[in-house]
Amino acid sequence: MQTTEILSRKASLRELVAARDKLTEKTGRYFGLERLRAREEDPIKFERFYSEIHNLVLRARESARFVAASPGGREMGESLWSICTPEGDTLANSLGFLTHMVAYKQCIKYMAEAGFEDNPGIRDGDIFATDDGAIGGAPHPGDTYSYMPIFVEDEIVGWAAAVNHVMEAGAPVAGSWPGFSVDTTMDGLVFPPMKVGENRTPATWWNQLWMSRTRAGIFNVLDDKMRLAGNVIIVDGIRKIVADYGLDYYRRAIREIIEFSRRVIQDNIKITTVPGIFSGASFRVVKYKGLSKLWPHADKDYMLASNMTVKFGTDQKITGDFTGTSRWDYCAFNGYPSGADIGFQLPIAFNYLHNTYVTSAILCDFKSRYPKGSTYNPDTNFAAYSNIWAQSIAMSASHWNCHSRSMFARGFLEESFTVDGVWGGVQGGGRLDDGQSYGFTNFEMVGGVAQGAFPFKDGIPIAYALWTQLTNIGNVEEWEFLIPPMFYLGRTLVADYCGHGKFRGGVGLSSVHLILEPGKDLYMSRGGSGGSQTTHVALGQSGGYPTPGTIYTAIRNSNLLEKVQQGMPYPRSMVECLDYLKEKKFEAEDVQVFKYDPPQLEMKHGDIFSDCAGGSGGWGDPLERNPQLVIADLNDGWVTERLANSCYGVVAKKVVQGADTIYVLDEAGTSARRTEIRAQRLACLTVKDWWKQERLRVKNKQLIEPVAYTLQSSFETETGPEYKKMFIDFWQLDDNFEF
Amino acid sequence: MERIEVGKELVRKLVDGTISDQDVLRLQNSYKDDDRFNKYVEVLQERVKWKDRILMRISDNVYIVQKEKSGEIISKCTCGHDFFDYRTNWKLGCLINVRKTLKEMSEVYSPEPACPEPEWQEIREFYCPDCGAQLAVEVLPPGYPVMFEFLADIPGFYREYLGTPLTPEKKYECQDKSLELTKTWGKEI
Repeated sequence: MQTTEILSRKASLRELVAARDKLTEKTGRYFGLERLRAREEDPIKFERFYSEIHNLVLRARESARFVAASPGGREMGESLWSICTPEGDTLANSLGFLTHMVAYKQCIKYMAEAGFEDNPGIRDGDIFATDDGAIGGAPHPGDTYSYMPIFVEDEIVGWAAAVNHVMEAGAPVAGSWPGFSVDTTMDGLVFPPMKVGENRTPATWWNQLWMSRTRAGIFNVLDDKMRLAGNVIIVDGIRKIVADYGLDYYRRAIREIIEFSRRVIQDNIKITTVPGIFSGASFRVVKYKGLSKLWPHADKDYMLASNMTVKFGTDQKITGDFTGTSRWDYCAFNGYPSGADIGFQLPIAFNYLHNTYVTSAILCDFKSRYPKGSTYNPDTNFAAYSNIWAQSIAMSASHWNCHSRSMFARGFLEESFTVDGVWGGVQGGGRLDDGQSYGFTNFEMVGGVAQGAFPFKDGIPIAYALWTQLTNIGNVEEWEFLIPPMFYLGRTLVADYCGHGKFRGGVGLSSVHLILEPGKDLYMSRGGSGGSQTTHVALGQSGGYPTPGTIYTAIRNSNLLEKVQQGMPYPRSMVECLDYLKEKKFEAEDVQVFKYDPPQLEMKHGDIFSDCAGGSGGWGDPLERNPQLVIADLNDGWVTERLANSCYGVVAKKVVQGADTIYVLDEAGTSARRTEIRAQRLACLTVKDWWKQERLRVKNKQLIEPVAYTLQSSFETETGPEYKKMFIDFWQLDDNFEF
Repeated sequence: MERIEVGKELVRKLVDGTISDQDVLRLQNSYKDDDRFNKYVEVLQERVKWKDRILMRISDNVYIVQKEKSGEIISKCTCGHDFFDYRTNWKLGCLINVRKTLKEMSEVYSPEPACPEPEWQEIREFYCPDCGAQLAVEVLPPGYPVMFEFLADIPGFYREYLGTPLTPEKKYECQDKSLELTKTWGKEI
C-alpha cells in the first residue's frame, strides 16, 4: 500500500487506520510521508489552511462553553475541542487540557476496527460518546467525550471531538472522582463508544440517562449540549474549508500537518535536551481498611507505586518504562493505558509542541510501556478507574521533572522548573429540603496550583496547572451559587505549605467551607492527588524538597457558627481553624484531620470542611538560600519563624518601624545556625553504612504491612521480576527473597 | 517568536539567579540559541576552583567532569569532592540523613499535618561528604532502593548532539553501574 494511493481516494475508516499504522511503523514517518508536497509547493497556502482549521476549534470552545452551567466547562480549563483526521489523529486543539487527544485516537481506532461503519453505521449528523477507559480511552468516567463525523458527500473526512470534566459521575460515592470503588461496577455511569444521537440531536433516552443515573443531571446534560455545540461549529467549518481548498488538497494536507509537527518536535528535543536515562517515582495511598465489610478483597491499606525509567535516545525518541509500578488493585485509582498516556504525554506536549502545530504527532515517537497487570494496564477490563488522576498527575509530574533535569543539563534553565503541584476537589451529594437530589464537584483546587521553583527563582502561588493552560480557581461567589450549602468563610494562602529549597515552591491554598442549611442530608468527600501521608512526587530537584500532599479537615458538632454570629473573626484557613480550636476560641465534638482521602462524611448545618492543597516543590539546598529572601518571606507571611530557623538556618529579630513590627536579619545568629546545621550534616552516616543497617531491616522484613504490600505488589506485574531482581541486587538479598 | 542575542553575560545572570523577569520571558519566548550549552559550560568552568574539564552539570552542585590527569569521567561536587565513575549513582558516595519521625520531618515540612507519615515514608537527604551541601532529597517508603535520578548519555550527547566525540568513547558507554557498587558492599558483609 502506498501513501499517495490511499490518500487520493475515498477509503473506509478501517482501511485508513490500518494504512496509517502500517506506513508509520514501516517508515518512521507519519503515514509514510517522506515529502511534504502540499507544504513545499505553497507554504503560505498551507499556513492559511492550518490557520482556518485552528481558528475553528478556538471558536468552537469560545462559543460553546457558555452553554454549560458548570464553571469547569465555562471558565476553567477542564474541557477541549479538537479536529481529528478520519483515523483519529488530532490536527488542532482549542484551549484546554490538550493531551486528551490521546483518547480520541484510541476511541476512533476502536470504532473503525470494530466495524462501526456497518454496525451501528456512521452517518452525517450522528453523535457518538464514551467515558470508557479500556476501550474508549478515557482516563476516568468524569471525563466524557463526544464525537461527530465530518462528511463531505459520502466520505468521512474527519471528526469533531470534544471532552469535558463533568460535575457528577453517578457512582456510589458522590462527585466526579469517587475515592472508593472496588471494581468498575462502582465507577458510576460508564458507557463504551456508542451512538447517542442522530441529525445533530441527542436522543431523548440519552438525556434521560444522565438525569436518571447521575446526581447532577441538569449540569451533565448541559455539558453534553456544550460539547455538541462546539462540534457542530467544527463540522460546518471543515465542510467549508474542504469546499474552498478541494478534497484532494485537504486529504493530503491534514496528514502533512502531523508529519511536519512530528519533525519539529524532534528538532525541539534535539535543541533543548540531553539524552540519557532518568528516573522518577510517586506513591498514592489507598486507605480502605475498615471502610466496608462487603468487599474483603478491598479491605486493606497500601500504596500504589508509580515507578518510571525514562530513556531519552540520541534519536530523539523517548520511552517511559513503568517496571516497578504496582499491580492494579481493588481501588478507585487504577486506569488504562490511554488514560495513563494522557498524563504521561503532558511534558511532551507542553515542552516540545512549540514553533509548530499542536497535534497528536507527540504519539509517534514517545511511548510508554506499562507492564501488563500494573495499575495503568490491568489484565482485566473490570478494574475500577474512577480516578486515575489520583496518581497519574503525580506520575506526569515525575516524568516532567525528568525533562526539567535534561533541559537544566543543556543550559536552558529558563525552561527548567520543579513540576510538582498537589491538587484536589471537594465533592459530594445530598438532598435539599424539598427532596431534590443533587451532586457536585468544586473544581477550585483543580483549576490552579502553585508553580514550582526554577533554578533561579521561587515559584508562584495559584499560577499553574500542569494539565491545562487555563489556570483559574474560579470565583468564590460562583461556587457558592452552584453549591449553596458550602459557604466560604475564607480562602487564603498558607505559610510554609510548599516544598522548600534554595528557591522555594509557591505556597498552597486553603479554603474554609462552612455548611449552611444543607437540607435533608449532605455527604462530602474529595478527589485529587495524594494526601500528605506522602509527598506528591518522591524526588526533589537539586537538593530541594518535593511539595507536601493535600490535607483535609472536618470539624463537626461545633459552636463555631454561634461564635461567628456573636462576632468572632472568621478562621480563614485550615491552619487558623485548628489554631482556634487549640486556643479554645470555639469547641467541637468531632475534629478529624486527614492526610489521606477522607471517606464520605455526613455534614450538617454549622459543620466545617476545609482543605490545604496546591503547594509546589522547591529547587536547591535551603542552606544556600539568600537569607534576605527568607526575611522577605517572613515579612510577607510566606514562611514562619520556626521553619526559617529549622529548614533555612536563618535567625531573624523583630524591630519596631513606625507602627509596624518587622523582621530583620540577625547575621551573626544566622551564620552560627548555618554552621551548626552544616556540622550536623557532616556528622551523618555514609550511605554505605546506612545501606548496611537498612539492608538488615529489609532482609528481616521490618517494614509496616502497607509498605511491604506495596513492594511485593511491584514484583507481581508482567515485568515485576525485573524490578525484583534490581531490588534484590541493590540490597544484596537472597534470590528467593519475598515479602 | 524572535531570535535574540543570548550572550555569555546573560547566561551568567541566569546561572547566578540575577536575571530579570523580563529577560526570562524573552528567553522563553525566543528561538533557542544553538550554542547555549557551550556558553553554559564556559560560565560554569570559570566559577569552579578546580581544573577538571566540565562535561555536563546534572544538578545544582553535581557535575560530570573529565579528570585532568587520568582522563576518567566521574561525578564531582562544586567543592571539588570526587564521586565515582559517572555511571555509578553519585548518591551512593554521599552522607545521608534520614528523617523518620514527625519531629524530624517537621523541621522541613509545615504545618505539621503536611509532614509525610512516619513508617509509610522517610525523607532522605544526601550531602557532599566534604562541604555538606545538600545535593538531593528523596521521599520514599523505607526499604526502597536509592534512585539514580539522571544517568546522562555523555558519549552519545557529545557525538550526536555536539558533533565532538569524546575520546575514549567506548570505554565510557552509557550504562548504569550502580549495582556493581552495592555488590562490592555486599561482599564486605
